[in-house]
Amino acid sequence: MAVSFLNRERTIATPGYSRWLIPPAALCVHLCIGQAYAFSVFNLPMTKLIGISRSAPGDWKLTELGWIFSLAIFFLGVSAAVFGRWVEEGGPRRAMFTAALCWAGGFLVSAVGVYLHNLWIIYLGYGVLGGVGLGIGYISPVSTLIRWFPDRPGMATGMAIMGFGGGAFIASPLSVWLMGRFATPNHVGVAETFIVMGLVYLCFMMVGAAIVRVPPPGWAPAGYSTPVQPKPLVTTQNVFVYDALKTPQFWLIWWILCLNVTAGIGVLGQASAMSQEMFRGRITAVAASGLVGLFSLFNMLGRFLWSSTSDHIGRKNTYFVFFALGTFLYALVPYSGAIGSIGLFVLCYAIIFSMYGGGFATVPAYLRDMFGTRYVGAIHGLLLTAWSMAGIFGPVLVNYIREYNVTHGVAAAQAYNVTMFVMAGLLVIGFICNVFVGSVHERFHMRAVEAEDEVEAAPVFGGR
Amino acid sequence: MISAPQSSGKANGIKLVLAWGFVGIPLVWGIVQTLLNAIKAFQ
Repeated sequence: MAVSFLNRERTIATPGYSRWLIPPAALCVHLCIGQAYAFSVFNLPMTKLIGISRSAPGDWKLTELGWIFSLAIFFLGVSAAVFGRWVEEGGPRRAMFTAALCWAGGFLVSAVGVYLHNLWIIYLGYGVLGGVGLGIGYISPVSTLIRWFPDRPGMATGMAIMGFGGGAFIASPLSVWLMGRFATPNHVGVAETFIVMGLVYLCFMMVGAAIVRVPPPGWAPAGYSTPVQPKPLVTTQNVFVYDALKTPQFWLIWWILCLNVTAGIGVLGQASAMSQEMFRGRITAVAASGLVGLFSLFNMLGRFLWSSTSDHIGRKNTYFVFFALGTFLYALVPYSGAIGSIGLFVLCYAIIFSMYGGGFATVPAYLRDMFGTRYVGAIHGLLLTAWSMAGIFGPVLVNYIREYNVTHGVAAAQAYNVTMFVMAGLLVIGFICNVFVGSVHERFHMRAVEAEDEVEAAPVFGGR
Repeated sequence: MISAPQSSGKANGIKLVLAWGFVGIPLVWGIVQTLLNAIKAFQ
């Protein structure tokens, strides 16, 4: 009974259901898993679990704690790739339900790890179990949104993925507040905070799983009809998930996402230090943290605005804007430092981070245009391995280039200049990849009868 | 092709308000907190 509630056929919308209930259902999941971006608020408190006011011998080091987030992002990519087809064929409710259990379970297991002061339990809890919840949760509403909004797929997926960017805005002050409530003179309050957050997220995500619906076969919004004359670079066919891997388009888009994210994630982690070093004495540590908050806001808003814009100007053109404008802006950042213009620096970074977020949010619609709607969620899952790769390359590239410059006598204020030019170079490569994206060859298209079978057989898992 | 079910009626409207409020209120609260912190940082 309880399990059948999760089945795809139980989620088919009845007449009268408003498709505008789907974005909040998706946001219920994405706002929760977006907490991952705010995990760093636990880092310092977790270095003082024994010493309380300061780190004591036996307390965990920041370098050890850094692996928790890295593991979670790694397992996000892996689980999105591995479970993509399972998510697609089982429907959004089962996926959201599973994501909720994994994500909340990750917090609860981590609370045990904090209580026992065993870091491996936290690696397993937040890093592995939570990471799997992140991956399944991230892709769970994507294809459902695209099917409900065939007229505006960019805007629809942008709304959900904006939630992932926005989750940190809720999690960060909430975590700090909860730790403050649970802290005592001889206790930091991290374990209790994990428990409360795990339970809150479980409830919140379950609401999303309860209200999500898939459209009945053949449904279309009022006034919408499939274009008789297909738009260029927008297919009306479907490509099977594993056949997509054989197409050059998948790998070109993989590199497009990877390069866009590498450039963005690399400087995102360094934005605070970079602003203080480039404008020494003018931007304090506190002001820098305010700036990072402001940039995160642009990251979130860019997800919605750029993906919505892509519905009008096309996905390929949107990425052309990201890469061309991004190259110019990355190259302009050193100039802003040279002339001492904080305003220009902030403007450059605000737009850069909006395009970083926009790159994440526009890619599901790009995949839909290339490979159709049938397996778009699963294909998107496979593509997220590009994120995992960028998550490693971006920060490493920025840190090593800076380190190399500083050890070779370059002043701290100029140490990021080469980094910015390297990032601009990465975007030029991304631009070239985007040039080569064309329509998928028809030999990869699913046959009509095969696609129809897929629709009819959707509730039956495992069949191609 | 099946025509789109019209989201009509009071019940649907209430559901929409509740669903959007459920996700919108925490999100707006978080954004306001972030902006307040950003403003404080520059003072």
